[in-house]
Amino acid sequence: MYLLEKMIRRAYSIIHCKVRPIIIVVQGERLMTMKKNRIAGIISAVVILAMTGCTQTKENQSISQSTTQNEIEKTKQSNEVTAYVGTSIFESSLDPIKGAMSYGYPFTNNALLKVNADSEYVGDLATDWSISEEALTYTFTLREGVKFSDGSDFTAEDVVFTYNTVHENQANNEYVDLTRLESITAIDEYTVEMKLSEAYSPFFDTVAMLQIVPSDAYDSALFDTNPIGTGAYKVVQYDTNQQMILEANEHYFGEVPEIQKVTLVYMDGDAAFAAARSRQLDIVMVGAGYAKEEIPGMTLEAFETMDVRNISLPVQPQQTVKDAEGKEVTIGNNVTCDKAVRKALSIGLNREMIIENAFNGVGVPVVHFTDNLLWASTETYEDDCQEEAKKILEDAGWMDEDGDGIREKDGQECTFEVYAAGGDEDRYRLAVAMAENALELGIKIEVKTTTWDEVTTLQLTSGIVWGWGQYSPTVLYSLYKSDLFLSGGYDNVVGFNNDKVDSKIEEALSANNQEDAISAWKDVQMIADEEYPYLYLVNIEHCYFVNEDLDLSMETQIPHPHGHGSPIVCNMADWTWK
Amino acid sequence: MTKREWNLSWNRRTKVALLAGIATLYLVGIFIWGLCLDPALYGVNYSEKLIAPCTEHWFGTDFMGRDMFYRCIKGLSNSLIVGVLAAGVSSILALVLGITAAIFGGWIDKFVNVCVDLCMGLPHLVLLILISFMLGKGTRGVTIAVALTHWPGLTRIVRAEVMQVRSAQYVQAAYKMGKTKVQVAVTHIMPHVLPSYLIGLILLFPHAIMHEASITFLGFGLPKEMPAIGVILSEAMNHIAMGKWWLALFPGMMLLIAVLLFDVIGEQLKKLWNPTSGNE
Repeated sequence: MYLLEKMIRRAYSIIHCKVRPIIIVVQGERLMTMKKNRIAGIISAVVILAMTGCTQTKENQSISQSTTQNEIEKTKQSNEVTAYVGTSIFESSLDPIKGAMSYGYPFTNNALLKVNADSEYVGDLATDWSISEEALTYTFTLREGVKFSDGSDFTAEDVVFTYNTVHENQANNEYVDLTRLESITAIDEYTVEMKLSEAYSPFFDTVAMLQIVPSDAYDSALFDTNPIGTGAYKVVQYDTNQQMILEANEHYFGEVPEIQKVTLVYMDGDAAFAAARSRQLDIVMVGAGYAKEEIPGMTLEAFETMDVRNISLPVQPQQTVKDAEGKEVTIGNNVTCDKAVRKALSIGLNREMIIENAFNGVGVPVVHFTDNLLWASTETYEDDCQEEAKKILEDAGWMDEDGDGIREKDGQECTFEVYAAGGDEDRYRLAVAMAENALELGIKIEVKTTTWDEVTTLQLTSGIVWGWGQYSPTVLYSLYKSDLFLSGGYDNVVGFNNDKVDSKIEEALSANNQEDAISAWKDVQMIADEEYPYLYLVNIEHCYFVNEDLDLSMETQIPHPHGHGSPIVCNMADWTWK
Repeated sequence: MTKREWNLSWNRRTKVALLAGIATLYLVGIFIWGLCLDPALYGVNYSEKLIAPCTEHWFGTDFMGRDMFYRCIKGLSNSLIVGVLAAGVSSILALVLGITAAIFGGWIDKFVNVCVDLCMGLPHLVLLILISFMLGKGTRGVTIAVALTHWPGLTRIVRAEVMQVRSAQYVQAAYKMGKTKVQVAVTHIMPHVLPSYLIGLILLFPHAIMHEASITFLGFGLPKEMPAIGVILSEAMNHIAMGKWWLALFPGMMLLIAVLLFDVIGEQLKKLWNPTSGNE
C-alpha cells in the first residue's frame, strides 16, 4: 500500500497541474475502493500510472509550446531566473563561518581570494598579497570601498573577526581548516597579517574557501538562512526545503548583474524535469541518464568539472592487523594486491565505452586528476590496450585454466568486489559498466551497493567507487600519505605506503610558494601512479537543461567542483538574457 | 442427498480445488523458474538499452539493457523466498503464542496480549524499517524484519479459535481423564484450529511480499544488485518522467497478480476447509 501511495504521489507531482483534476478523482476513488476492496484500488492505481506515463509527454509538449512565448516574455521583462540546482544547497547552512559554499561558488559572501575560469587564484576581497620567505606569514591588502549588503563598510576588522570566529569554533566547520593559524592581526584598516604555526602551502586554498562576514552584524542563527555579505546577491526569502529567493545586492562592488532575481527551488529530480518540460524552470539539473532526452525551448549543457570517479584497489595482501585503537581488523585483498592486476585494469579497460554505457557518453575518460587543476599530473597513457594488459596478467601468472573466462593463480580466482555507496545511481552504473568491460580481460568484478557507514570497513578489503573534485591539492595527502591508513575516516584506504611519496608530500606542504608546491605535488602523483593504487575512470560532466534564451556566460564559469547541482551558480552575476 | 445435489456439490468442490490448484501452480512455477534462471538472461547488455516491449523482450529492457521479463521473474521469485520465510516464521510464532495464551490463560495470556498490542500499535512500515535498519538492511535485514512483524494478527485469530474450542465437552473430558494441558493442546485443540491457521498463513504471503517490496522501494531493503520487485520499481521511478512506462507497469502488474493469486488460494481453501461451507 505504501508503495503505491508513494508511486501515486510521485506520478502526481510529475503530472503537475495539467491533469490534476483527473488524479484527484482517481485518488478519491482509490481511497473509497480500498476500504471495500484493496485489490481493485491497486489495479486502478497501476493502470492510471501507466496511462499517465504514456500520455503525459505529448500533453506537456503541446501545452508548453503554446505557453513558451508568454513565459519568456514574462521572465525577460522582470529579469528573473528560476532554477533547480539540486537539493544540497538547501541541506546545509548558508553561513560561511560553518563552511557554506567553501567549494568555491559563493554568491552572498566573498572570500579574500577566488578561483577564475582557468583555476588560478585571483584577488576577490584582497587586491594584493605576499608570503614571507619561511612561508609563515601571509599579508593581504584588502579592496577598498566595499560595502556589505546591510550598508556597512568592509574593513580588516571583519576579516580578523571571521578568521578568529572560525578558528575558535573549528568543530563547527569541517571544510575550512584553520588549525595551523597562529594569529591574525589588522595592520591597518585595509591590511591583515596572518601567522601560521608551521609552513603549510595549502593555506592559500583555505583562504579562498573562507568568505568574510561582517563583525558587527554576525548572528549565527540568522546567517544559516540569511547571511549578510559582500556578494552579488542576497537572500530575500528562505523557505526551508521549498525555495530560496535571491535578489541582487545594491551595495555589490562589482558590476550590477542583469539578472536581478533568482529563485532556487527544492524538489525531486524527476519532478524538476517535468516542471522544466512545462516551462516553469529556466535551469534544471539532470543526471547523465537524461542526456538523450529533449525539452522544447531548452538545450542540454554539459559543464566541465574537476570531478573524477576512481576506484580504490587495496594494495596489501589480505591479513589481520591492529588499528590505532588496538582493535583487530582485516585489511587487504589477495587479488588487487598484485600490481599486475591493478595495472592491467588501468591500461586495459576501454574507458570511452564504459562512459558510453554508463552515462550515455557524457564524461571524459581520465587516468588521473583533471587537467584543469594546476597541480594535477600530466603524465598520461593510452587505455584500451587489451593485448598488453592480458600479457601483463599472464606474465604475473594469472591464467584461465578451467576455461570459464576468469583467470586464476595458485587456486585464487581473479575476482574482487567493488562497492558503490550512498545510493548514488550513477556510481553504481559506472561500476557495473566497468565490471562488464573487465570481464574481457578475464577479471571478474562483483558490483554491490552499500551505505557510507559500511564503507569504513569494506574499504579496507574491497574496491570502492569514490568521487573527488576540489581545488585544493590536499586530496593527494589524503589519498597517499602512509600514516593515514587505518586512521579512521576515508583516508588512504588502499594502504599505500611509499617513503618517497611521503617525503614529497611533506615537501609540498611546507613549500613557501605555489610553484614549488605544485611541482612537488606532481612528483607525488608521478611516483604513486607507478603503483596504480587507484583506478581512475571518468571525469564526469554536470548536465543541465538551460533555457535557450539564457546566456550562462560559459567563459566565466569555473570548472565545477564535486557536487552536481550548485556549482552552476558560481557566476550568476554574469548571466544575461539573450 | 439426491444425485443432482451430489453432482452440484461435486462440481463446486472441483471448481474450487481447480482454481486453487492453478493459482498454486502459477506461483510455484514462477518460484522454481526464478530459482533455476540463468543469470545471463537478465544480465547487462548495453547494446539493447531501453527497448520498448516487443516480441523479443516482452517487458522491454531497462537502462542497462537487462531484459525486464526475466528480471521480473527472478525478482518475484526472490520476493517469494522472503515471503515463504516470513510467513513460515510468523505463522509458527502465531500458532505457539496463540495456543499458549488461550490454554494457560492468566498472566501468560496477558503477556501475549500486551505483545500483540505493542506490535500492532506501531505503524507496520515504521516497525519494518526500524528492524531492517537495525540489522544492517540488506537481504538479512529485510527477511528478519518481515518475518518478525507479521505474527500479531494471526496470533489473535488462533487465540480466539482456541478459546472457543477449549470449553467444548470433549476437551473437558480429556482433562478429566488426566491429560496435561500440553497434551490436550496438541492432540485435541491443534487439529481444530488448523484450517483457519493455514488460511491465515496463506493470506500472510501477500502482506509479506508487499511489505518486502515497499521497504525495498524506500531503500531500506534488498540491495540494488539483487533483482527484486521493489528495486525494479524504485529504479523505474527515475525513468517514468522520461516516458519509459514499461519499466514500472509490468513489474507492478506481476506483483499485483501474485498478490491477487494468493488471495484466490486463501479464499478457495476457506471454502473447502471451513466446516460451515465445506460441504456446500
